[in-house]
Amino acid sequence: MEDLSKLSLIDQINGLKSRKFSSLELTEFYLKKIDQAKALNSFISLNENALKEAKKSDEKISKNKNSSLEGIPIAHKDIFCIKDQITTCGSKMLENFVSPYSSTVYEKLSNSGTVNLGKTNMDEFAMGSSNETSFFGNVLNPIDPERVPGGSSGGSASAVAANLCSFATGTDTGGSIRQPAAFCGITGIKPTYGRVSRWGMIAFASSLDQGGIFAKNALDAALALENIAGFDEKDSTSINKKVPSFLNEAKSKDKEHIVGIPKDIIEDIKDDKVKNNFYESLEILKKSGVKVKEIDLKNIQYSLPVYYVIAPAECSANLSRYDGVRFGHRCENPKDLEDLYERSRAEGFGEEVKKRILIGTYCLSAGYYEAYYIKAQKIRNLIKQSFVNAFKEVSSIMMPTCANVSFKLNSIQNPVEMYEQDIYTIPANLAGLPAISIPSGKIKNLPLGIQFIGNYLEEGNLFNLSNKFQQNSNFHNE
Amino acid sequence: MKISKKVLSNISSLSKIKIEEEIKSDLIKDLESILKMVTEMNKIDTSGIEPMSHPLEDADNLRKDKATKEIKRDEYQKSAPQTDDGFYLTPKVIE
Repeated sequence: MEDLSKLSLIDQINGLKSRKFSSLELTEFYLKKIDQAKALNSFISLNENALKEAKKSDEKISKNKNSSLEGIPIAHKDIFCIKDQITTCGSKMLENFVSPYSSTVYEKLSNSGTVNLGKTNMDEFAMGSSNETSFFGNVLNPIDPERVPGGSSGGSASAVAANLCSFATGTDTGGSIRQPAAFCGITGIKPTYGRVSRWGMIAFASSLDQGGIFAKNALDAALALENIAGFDEKDSTSINKKVPSFLNEAKSKDKEHIVGIPKDIIEDIKDDKVKNNFYESLEILKKSGVKVKEIDLKNIQYSLPVYYVIAPAECSANLSRYDGVRFGHRCENPKDLEDLYERSRAEGFGEEVKKRILIGTYCLSAGYYEAYYIKAQKIRNLIKQSFVNAFKEVSSIMMPTCANVSFKLNSIQNPVEMYEQDIYTIPANLAGLPAISIPSGKIKNLPLGIQFIGNYLEEGNLFNLSNKFQQNSNFHNE
Repeated sequence: MKISKKVLSNISSLSKIKIEEEIKSDLIKDLESILKMVTEMNKIDTSGIEPMSHPLEDADNLRKDKATKEIKRDEYQKSAPQTDDGFYLTPKVIE
């Protein structure tokens, strides 16, 4: 039998439809591979019912009653709640938390016929850029096991890169889909804020969090995203706009692109190899007929400080729900209510999460609120305006995804140095814009990614541009 | 930006997270380095600019305020560390 795990999502759909293989065969194949790749630590838990789900899909396929992704195995970041299954969010706090309901993202993919393989590892509460903050241990990068897969959705990225599934879900608050996609050499999309429902997706920073997809290429990612996007009345920040066929948009020959190059940012890239890769990627795009225009993105250099006020502030509020009373970890023998709160939270949260709650609490506390929180929100507005102005002239903006390739485990100890991992990815979250990372080459066998940021609700445009790039290069297949 | 032990103790109390004495000085060092990076914001004049709390201008899809008959207390309380007769149990609050 051929190596089914090397097939793209779309090829797998065709293979199932034409009865080349069954969903059961595909699922068994993946479960075996996942078992062999245990050392990567990509998964926190496996779905006991995966084979049952596959059999059900096979029945539907045999009766031609299949849904759009019928029988395709998938992995979910362990931040998406699934009813009656443990959802840990990478934390000791939720080590034994059995969700009483399912997230909209999971429901939608389940209704599309996917077979859930299991839940992938992640930085605790999605706070991290290396997957080293997970309570369930770090994840290895399948390209080089001495290095990190990126974070926070490191388990999903490593699973797709190691062919343990053809696509996976992730979330992106400041780069948590795009940076690991770049580090693992795969495609990752964070859609427009509000495009994908946040219902049942455990909250970190509510004005920044957005669910998205990891896949092997832009076409697969387009098809997967159209299956999770759409209005959801359970999420008041969900956008009530029709979702087009991203796959059709990705393949369309009618789209014209003017790609904006933020000259100052590109000139400031410290690593020459990353800079050269950017310009080489630009040449590939130009050859496919894409127009290029230099743009000025004012104030974008403030994105990192702005993010590290707003994200911790929102996290300190969101994570106040973990009190040791209603669900989650509870300390032993509390002497009073105060002791119950303080020790349950001290024991249940890891160091990075605590640090961010403390920073957020500080920025929101009396006397500092104006100087930090309001100041950050004002600059956030300026950053958004810079993008709004840029999109009057261009259809998308191109930047590197990261300033470097994947780094070695435990090699970054300074928190600010770790936070700087996200300097190119954070701006899209602050503005709420869609952004995609695709593989663009390698430095000494380690993958690099380039990122396209699009205008609001223009995910189709990003897929089209990425597909053009992938038709004229082979980095996504290496 | 300096963080004194008094300020740390205040934010620890506000955020209800107990901080052990032996990690305090390392923690203060990390928090100070984050705040130092954050104060870069002061280089930009933001007078007259509206604060932006959210990326969407019309993110206000409120559902209809209709009562439902859905009561799943037992199901939700299954995840609770300690309950009794439908109540969440905590240490005594009033002596």
